Amino acid sequence: MSEHERHGASPEKSPKDPAIREEAHSTWSREVLSEIRYKAEHGTHRIRGCGTPRPFPGFNDLTVLPSQLTRMAVDTYREPCETRTVLGKRFCTEPLVVETPILISGMSYGALSKEAKIALARSTRLVGNSINNGEGGLLPEERAESYRQVVQVLPSRMGFSLRSIEAADALEIIVGIGAKPGLSGHLMGSKISKEVAEFRQIPEGIDLHSHPRHGDIFGADDLVIKMEQLREVTDNRIPIFIKIAAGRVREDVKIAAKAGADGIVVDGAQGGTGAAPVVAADHMGMPTLPALVQAVRALEEMGVKDEVSLIVSGGIKDGADVAKALALGADAVALGQSVMAAMGCTVCRRCHTGRCAFGIGTQDPELRARLDIDTAAKRVANYIKAMTHEAVILAKASGKTRLRNLEREDLRSLTLEACAMTGIPLVGTDFTFTEPFGFF
Amino acid sequence: MVVVDAATLAKRELNRRLNSLLAEGETAIEVQNPGSMHNLGTALKGRGEITVRGSTGFYTGGFLEGPRLVIEGNTGWYTGDNMLAGEIIIRKNAGSNCGPSMIGGTIVVHGNTGGRAGLGMKGGDLLVLGSTGRWCGQMTMGGRIIILGDVGPGLGESMYRGLIHVRDPEAESKLGGNVEFHPISADEVDSLAQLFATHGVQADPNSFMSVRPMTSGRHHYTIFNPQLSGADGR
Repeated sequence: MSEHERHGASPEKSPKDPAIREEAHSTWSREVLSEIRYKAEHGTHRIRGCGTPRPFPGFNDLTVLPSQLTRMAVDTYREPCETRTVLGKRFCTEPLVVETPILISGMSYGALSKEAKIALARSTRLVGNSINNGEGGLLPEERAESYRQVVQVLPSRMGFSLRSIEAADALEIIVGIGAKPGLSGHLMGSKISKEVAEFRQIPEGIDLHSHPRHGDIFGADDLVIKMEQLREVTDNRIPIFIKIAAGRVREDVKIAAKAGADGIVVDGAQGGTGAAPVVAADHMGMPTLPALVQAVRALEEMGVKDEVSLIVSGGIKDGADVAKALALGADAVALGQSVMAAMGCTVCRRCHTGRCAFGIGTQDPELRARLDIDTAAKRVANYIKAMTHEAVILAKASGKTRLRNLEREDLRSLTLEACAMTGIPLVGTDFTFTEPFGFF
Repeated sequence: MVVVDAATLAKRELNRRLNSLLAEGETAIEVQNPGSMHNLGTALKGRGEITVRGSTGFYTGGFLEGPRLVIEGNTGWYTGDNMLAGEIIIRKNAGSNCGPSMIGGTIVVHGNTGGRAGLGMKGGDLLVLGSTGRWCGQMTMGGRIIILGDVGPGLGESMYRGLIHVRDPEAESKLGGNVEFHPISADEVDSLAQLFATHGVQADPNSFMSVRPMTSGRHHYTIFNPQLSGADGR
């Protein structure tokens, strides 16, 4: 078996070729056969980096209605549109204030190189947003560079202590992530260099499988008490977010809000990770679009939508996605895989091998040297600025002078599926055929 | 000696009071009527001893950094979570998941404690004079756990770093996966002797065995384990 086939990649061929087009939809496509051969040879499930490549229903199936006579457009270039966003002000005295509602998700030092982490942190100072440290602890270099820093409270608690809390501008309790909801974390031994091992307090080279459950939070009742403890430790200064993978979103969001979260992060099935079983990445979790709608409905049912900040992640790739997410009720979005792509990642989906040729998902010193921190930081900052431009363009064309004023009524569904999932009327009609979502 | 009656205080008020007293230099504080309060002793800093006359609830002494906290009754789950330094002494029993993700300091449980004691420890000592439940020392990344009584199954499952000392004669048959069972070393005996002397523990360090993480290779997990019957699988 060739290296090419081993990774399940099909050779490039023209989609116009009827045989290839037919094969892509066949039960017994080349990719399916490759997967079967892998399992026949190895007797175990396959691991892959990044998120699922599967197409999911998404924001592309919504359109934004422009202003004409029913409302007045705001000048695209001359009139202001506020992008500053305040997150997590429910119970804390120092909410997270960012200049654009586009944040950088938790991606760990270990999964990423130190150079990549520093570049991402530095980009936040160029656009005024926040970065999340991810699993394994907070690199001093990351904190030194970041504009705003979110620190994760993870089941493994690697590198987490009072010092981390003191350094944080917000905390994020991780219950799950979209790429592998309900599964253990996974860091391949090839990425556990001496430096990463010391940082995480683990042996060098060993495959790390962290626990999917917190050792000190066994369910929602404990979470309430834990939240009280963390508030006491922070003296109510900084916000505490709870991050869930998109599973039973309505119920999970209600529990998180009831437990006292200042904000809730909902990570859709498109979310990425450094290493995950293929079967989980491809077949678990709710896509971001319906997850966001269900989360908004849940918070509205509880009457806390204006108190609890809602952040969504998973597959967000451009300013149109941002604008539509905000219109549906998100307060912010978080990026992961896309900022890696902005740095040069080609989404080859081999992060788990630790041989990233661009110096991003690797600990190999020679490969790491390929990543120029300043250049990468500028590229990420440029990408986020451009996304913000795009969102602002759509907001102004919809007659909004603040990004956060984008609303459901600005949207229409282009497909029946999008309409059914969101309750946004089908384009050209006033028709919806699902649960109410603020219309009629 | 300063006496604080917890019956009339909300927990945050109590913890604030305790931290104020410690900051003022009080070295002997007594808490009465704790009523199994959760989060008692959160993020206490300084030097001094706090004695709680009674039992406490969840997360006792979480994020502790310096003081000695003595609970004369029982504690609930998650005692000493993420503690950095200091001591927590539990005169009776502690609930499950005692000392999760401890970073430093010492926890002494004079009675028994539940499952997952020392889960994910990063440092410090957890000393249990009684017995522990299952999965004691799961996924430790540092620190030391000493159990004088019996242990439950799954002992030391997936330890990455750290050390467990046991003298349960059945301990080897209760080991979790990806750990090793060894005679105790001379250095470990000396270290244990000092710890026992510090806490007035009457036990012979030489009567213990050591559970250590694998020193090489990768952890192996079994997800599918067919239970075949007979040589031909029928």
